[in-house]
Amino acid sequence: MRVSKKQSEKRGRTGRPYRLRRKGISLGNGSAAIIEMIHVSKAYEDNPNALFDISLRVEKGQFLYLVGSNGAGKTTLLKLLYAAERPTAGEIWVNGVEVGRLAPRKIPYLRRALGLVFQDLKLLPRRTAYDNVAFALEAVGAERGEVAKKAAQALRGVGLERRANCLPSQLAAGEQQRLAIARAVVNDPVVLLADEPTGSLSVTAAEEIIHLFEKINLRGTTVVLATHNEGLPAMWPKEKIVLDQGKLTEGAPPQPMACG
Amino acid sequence: MKGYYFRQARQNLIQNPWLNAITLGTITLSFLILGLFLVLFLNTKGLLEDWGGRIRVTAYLGGSPDQEQMTRLREKVRGFEEVMEVKVRSKEEALKLLEEKIPERKELLRGLPRNPLPASLEIRLKGEYQSSEGAQSLARKLRGIPEIEEIQYGSDWLERFSAFMALLKGLGLGLGALLLLSTIVVISNTIRLSIFARREEIEIMRSVGATGLFIRAPFYLEGVLQGFLGAVLALAVLFALFQLFLSQVYEPLRGLLGNYPVQFLSLEQMAAVALGGVVLGLFGTQVSVGRYLRL
Repeated sequence: MRVSKKQSEKRGRTGRPYRLRRKGISLGNGSAAIIEMIHVSKAYEDNPNALFDISLRVEKGQFLYLVGSNGAGKTTLLKLLYAAERPTAGEIWVNGVEVGRLAPRKIPYLRRALGLVFQDLKLLPRRTAYDNVAFALEAVGAERGEVAKKAAQALRGVGLERRANCLPSQLAAGEQQRLAIARAVVNDPVVLLADEPTGSLSVTAAEEIIHLFEKINLRGTTVVLATHNEGLPAMWPKEKIVLDQGKLTEGAPPQPMACG
Repeated sequence: MKGYYFRQARQNLIQNPWLNAITLGTITLSFLILGLFLVLFLNTKGLLEDWGGRIRVTAYLGGSPDQEQMTRLREKVRGFEEVMEVKVRSKEEALKLLEEKIPERKELLRGLPRNPLPASLEIRLKGEYQSSEGAQSLARKLRGIPEIEEIQYGSDWLERFSAFMALLKGLGLGLGALLLLSTIVVISNTIRLSIFARREEIEIMRSVGATGLFIRAPFYLEGVLQGFLGAVLALAVLFALFQLFLSQVYEPLRGLLGNYPVQFLSLEQMAAVALGGVVLGLFGTQVSVGRYLRL
């Protein structure tokens, strides 16, 4: 994993962010939370409650489903995690960095610790499968030798080593999804954020993708998988949180009760 | 990493060959017109300065000053900052000169009861004062000397010369500004289209953690390359046209133009034109990057 010197300096010896420790917020059972959202809200002009008072924590190495119907706020929540959006209220900590107040010039260094799988895949149509993966390495300034080695490794990891020279349009839907995953993990991210990765796939292809995420998760990468399909957690059980109209309805941490 | 920037910039250029060819053509044309103007301006200026170098201010003295008075006056005038050289011409010398100029009237001139010609100081100006203003400034000082009765310096010609140079300079600056502005617009437009053509790549680069500099650098390089190549191409075409002018126009008309040696741009001036291309490329890119590539 590549973490900038400045980022690593922000963390204390315990791995916890200084600011959290200073504020006296407990991180629970002693294991480090890789993602923590504290009373986070996000309002848009046309949608004042896109997300409302979300508090959640994701432990390092966890596999978490983020379930919700279309428009529930899943994509917005993921965007907040990789600093594509700023929260209207609350604090967001990802990999020891307070994302909500992160200076724009530091955002690239946060993203190097994250792997992103987009709903629309965002594959480069005029580049081969290999080039699509290699591009993610080149974009962070990797050396040529490293690019060749890691890109081939990532394609092997998703079973596309023999399709390396194909254009995305020559790949099946499931293969395209695997290619998007290979690109997301090629920089060895600490957290993998996937937005509807099985949305347009057949059950068999979806199963392959979930197994792939499990394999990645077993290597220690934290996986947050957003889906509108409530059947996924039922078929491949993992921890889940449910979003409905911008609010957490299941899996929210217990709120303190009023005294008296 | 530098290799990556060059590969990306090259890819940007190759991706839209026609657009880039048109951009390069427009930049070349702009710099060519500017270069033509620059060569014309520099040579006209040189030619006129060459003529202007022959500017003489003549101060005619009253009465019949003796040698000592004239030497004293020469030293005084030589002390003025505008003056390069002062030649003293006595009444006798003036008459002798006139006799040489009109030998057929020699006898008539010798028959005059007294020499009617005044003694004079013939003054040459320093290079930086060879202008209407320089001559006028010296004339004002000369008028303060009581022994000097009249001053001649061909002020009309000098004023026309200065006005022509000012007009040429103004035209050059105006046209130059217009062409530079249009070059910036053309480069900026090409970079904008380049940004749009690569918007998917840019989005992916951002998502995997590429820094702003890493994403922007190839576009700056593309703009700089276009500006530099356009300027260098323009210089090459300008040089070819200059050679054509020398062989077809200048040599046949050499007698009319005098012996003034027509010159091409110096190495420093050519370097400045190429650097101008680089700066315009950077500026044009900045316009588009600042507007369409906010990271």
